[in-house]
Amino acid sequence: MIRRFLSDSLNSSSLQTVELVSGRALIWLIAGFVLLLIPQWDRLPIWLVASCAVLAGWRWLAQSGRVRLPGRWMRTGIMLILVAVYIATVQGRFTVDTAASFFVLAVGLKWLETRSTRDFYVLFFILVYLATVNFLFHQEIHWSVINIAGVALLLIGLQVVNAPDIPGAMKKGWRRLGLMLVKTLPIVVLLFVFFPRMSPLWSVPLVSGEARTGISDTMTPGDISSLAQSSERAFRVTFGGELPAYRDRYWRGLILDRLDGDTWQQGFGKPFRRLGRVDVDGGVGPLGPDQYDVLLEPTDQTWAFALADSRAVSNNVRQTNEDLFRFDRPADSSIRYRMELVRKPPTEGASAEPDNLQRYLQLPQSGNPRARAFGQQLAGEHDNPQAVVQRLLTRFREQAYFYTLRPPAMPVDGIDSLLFDEKRGFCAHYAGAMTFVLRAAGIPARVVVGYQGGSPGADNEYLIVRQYDAHAWVEAWFPGQGWVRVDPTAAIAPERIEFGLREAVAEEGSFLENDWASPQRYGDLAVLQWASLQLDKINYHWQRWVVGYQGQSQMNLMSRLPGGIGMRELGYITAGIVGAALLLAGLVTAWQYRRVESRHPIGRLVNRWYRLCDRAGVPVRHGETPAQLAFRLAQAKPAAAGTATAFARLINKHYYGRDSETGHHGELAKMKRLLATMKRQADRPSTSSSKG
Amino acid sequence: MLKAFRSRWQRWVNQRIPRADQRVFGQRSIFILPTGAGVVFTGLLLIMLITGINYQNSLIYLLTFLLGAVVVAAMHQTHRNLSGLELTLIQAGDGFAGDTIPFRLRAVSPRHDALAISLFCDDSQLEHQHVPAGQQHDMTLAIPSYQRGYLQPDRIRVETRFPFGLFKAWSWLRPVRSGIVYPNPLASPEVTSTVQDGEEQSKARSTDGNDHADIRPWREGDLSQRVQWKRYARTGEMVITDWEGEQGSPHWLDYEAFRGVGRELRLGYLAHQVMERARNNSRFGLNLPGQVIEPDTGAAHANRCLKALAIFGLEQPREGAPLPHGTRSDEVGHRSPKPSVVGEGRV
Repeated sequence: MIRRFLSDSLNSSSLQTVELVSGRALIWLIAGFVLLLIPQWDRLPIWLVASCAVLAGWRWLAQSGRVRLPGRWMRTGIMLILVAVYIATVQGRFTVDTAASFFVLAVGLKWLETRSTRDFYVLFFILVYLATVNFLFHQEIHWSVINIAGVALLLIGLQVVNAPDIPGAMKKGWRRLGLMLVKTLPIVVLLFVFFPRMSPLWSVPLVSGEARTGISDTMTPGDISSLAQSSERAFRVTFGGELPAYRDRYWRGLILDRLDGDTWQQGFGKPFRRLGRVDVDGGVGPLGPDQYDVLLEPTDQTWAFALADSRAVSNNVRQTNEDLFRFDRPADSSIRYRMELVRKPPTEGASAEPDNLQRYLQLPQSGNPRARAFGQQLAGEHDNPQAVVQRLLTRFREQAYFYTLRPPAMPVDGIDSLLFDEKRGFCAHYAGAMTFVLRAAGIPARVVVGYQGGSPGADNEYLIVRQYDAHAWVEAWFPGQGWVRVDPTAAIAPERIEFGLREAVAEEGSFLENDWASPQRYGDLAVLQWASLQLDKINYHWQRWVVGYQGQSQMNLMSRLPGGIGMRELGYITAGIVGAALLLAGLVTAWQYRRVESRHPIGRLVNRWYRLCDRAGVPVRHGETPAQLAFRLAQAKPAAAGTATAFARLINKHYYGRDSETGHHGELAKMKRLLATMKRQADRPSTSSSKG
Repeated sequence: MLKAFRSRWQRWVNQRIPRADQRVFGQRSIFILPTGAGVVFTGLLLIMLITGINYQNSLIYLLTFLLGAVVVAAMHQTHRNLSGLELTLIQAGDGFAGDTIPFRLRAVSPRHDALAISLFCDDSQLEHQHVPAGQQHDMTLAIPSYQRGYLQPDRIRVETRFPFGLFKAWSWLRPVRSGIVYPNPLASPEVTSTVQDGEEQSKARSTDGNDHADIRPWREGDLSQRVQWKRYARTGEMVITDWEGEQGSPHWLDYEAFRGVGRELRLGYLAHQVMERARNNSRFGLNLPGQVIEPDTGAAHANRCLKALAIFGLEQPREGAPLPHGTRSDEVGHRSPKPSVVGEGRV
């Protein structure tokens, strides 16, 4: 009830009815919309982008009067059509992606309805939330800049809608907004640091329907070679100590131990996916000499990549019994985790129980007869598995096997044709073939998939591992030694292991041959490399320190401050910051107001005159005109009659005169003189007036 | 309860903002509240914060804090936009009832631009006025009038929502001066003399307590019925008793000419006649009970007459008299049967 009263009585402007929003404001909103769509470009269907462009363009043309906005029926028609197309494309999949595109669709449709200021605000709110949604998908610094710039455009639009015909709106608007941001930046930073990073209030998996570039949990020959055409980042690593040599950078991801036809798979069923999200940060603090920090790009998988003989330090990864590392939940955003190298491997072959080992001897019932025979032959010729492996590696090294990104098609008995006929293949081919032969020879073996290598980022601060570093190799089990890494690629193309893919396929010229936009493709352009690495460095620090500033990092940072600051204290601090900011704003307002008052010199003079009158026994009455007051003063102090009248006339002239008559500095000086004289006159003739 | 609260609120505001034709808006007198959009935006920020918490997304936190800070800065800006603004009512206009009465206002903002200032008074508004720093900006607020008399706007609301429309800061100017609203001119039915007998009339007159009788020589145009025939018979002088503005006289417009007609209607007739005469540029005088305006011609004269008609029987809203807070002129016991101020009791 009281609220209604307030809105009634305080809002006498409620009579402002539907008024068409100004075109100048609208163009800012459209510009903001376009900017905010850019980060969505790779996840929005093309028809949606096109329709949004058409709808926004339509709205704009309607503003300038060239076309008319559709009527209600047509609007409903357009809406139905677009929603139908949407439903047809989505096909019942509900992911954050489809939700985001529905959101964009809603914005697009809203354009046709935006007529009044109220619609304008609705659109503004939706677009601000669109910026928020964008942050879910892209956190790199350039996307962040685009997002915030989009929001800034919206805020400019808001200024224009509130003052449509303001002179010099654009420049002043930007200046005003910039000043606001600069002034409030300290508060924002403090809030960002101290706002308690609570754990999620409820579980919200960020399920994305988008197929991410990255290794998958099955391996068919050819898979990794398509990955080799991508220069997208897989993860970045900072080492506390020195970098391991290139040839030792084997990042183990997952193990494929079941061969099914041509395809290698994980033997166990897919792990149960718990709903919810994984901690995205792996703590702060200096890295120990054996420690390394991995900042993984989102994979939508639970795999963490780690060097062999590592141990988890941060608590967002855990170790499996295959010495792999897993997150509890899929990595739907960048995740940082911290690992430590264990110099002395724990007791060898601890996990080598016979029943477990049987799994690593599994082969399909049929197929690849020559490779089977070859394996059995090798087993017969050598009595220990090490010798079999050596024999195989020697064969790869000495015979004319080629490492190529353009392997021939080997549809039937692929392993046979690779080993004995074509002899051209990629790491996945060789790893699969070698595992097959070893198993045929009775040696437990498995395919390991992950990355190998990684190139240094700017200033050698960290390693960048890209998708084209994806690799597959073999682990064989030797009694007494446990699992030992064996890499057939190292035998066939040692430069792949020593220097990377670029060198390995340099002759072939197939490095990133389809990815013409990637800076990595143009390795010989030093400037381009440098710029790309610098950008990556900025982004790396952005991701580590800003994007990844979450629960554990915050707690670690707080633990370095004096006084045990926990969640509760952070809450108090946040409240304190907000309170202090508001108080400060109030104080600034008060101070500015005082300054404003002092900027009314005439007003101050008038006040002084009032005080003079008061002393002279002529208290000022409310609403009295200066002339009336002067008249009464003249009656009380006849000596001051002339000056008082003149003073009153000047006041009137100042306040009610024409523009041309006011604003002279001389006027002020004259009034000051008059007041001084009047003061003397009023003081002096107090005797004379009592006489008279 | 609502009504009580409301009147308390009004009393408080009136106390805080005494009547004055000039006001410098400062902390004491500026009120600020979020607009509907501001409330929704705050809700949106909350939703964004929850999104940030649930997705553990630092950048959403950052955006939320950034926009939150912008909201606070906007509040500050909106307040500042109005603060220091000096608004003066430099002229209260006049016009006929039913028309809009122009009120000239002058705004000066000494230090910073005051942008997108809107003025509201009842149903009239003036939007998006920009007052550049250090310059004078004159504007005219047209306030509708409903009945003749003094038009003293109770409150002229000065409001700004700049820059983002998320907050509105407002204050009031409670002017002392009042505009003058002339009676709505009404064409009177053809007046034939109601005077049948001079004696009777004079009797009637004296009971009214009016003794502004004039005896003047007959001049052309005087109706023969009005000649004091008795006196003529006695003295041979053809004289006419000229009760002020005696009807039928082409030069005088008389309040008493419309017998049996209500006061407001009479004033309307008279206003019409004044307008007629002024249009024809003919010479006329106005006779009102208690006030006589000698015959004259010209626009100034017509205005004077109209003004006299407008305020006839009304007391000027007391200028700056220490009105009890929140009391309206009629509550004090104004003689006017109806309040002369439009928008009674509205904020």
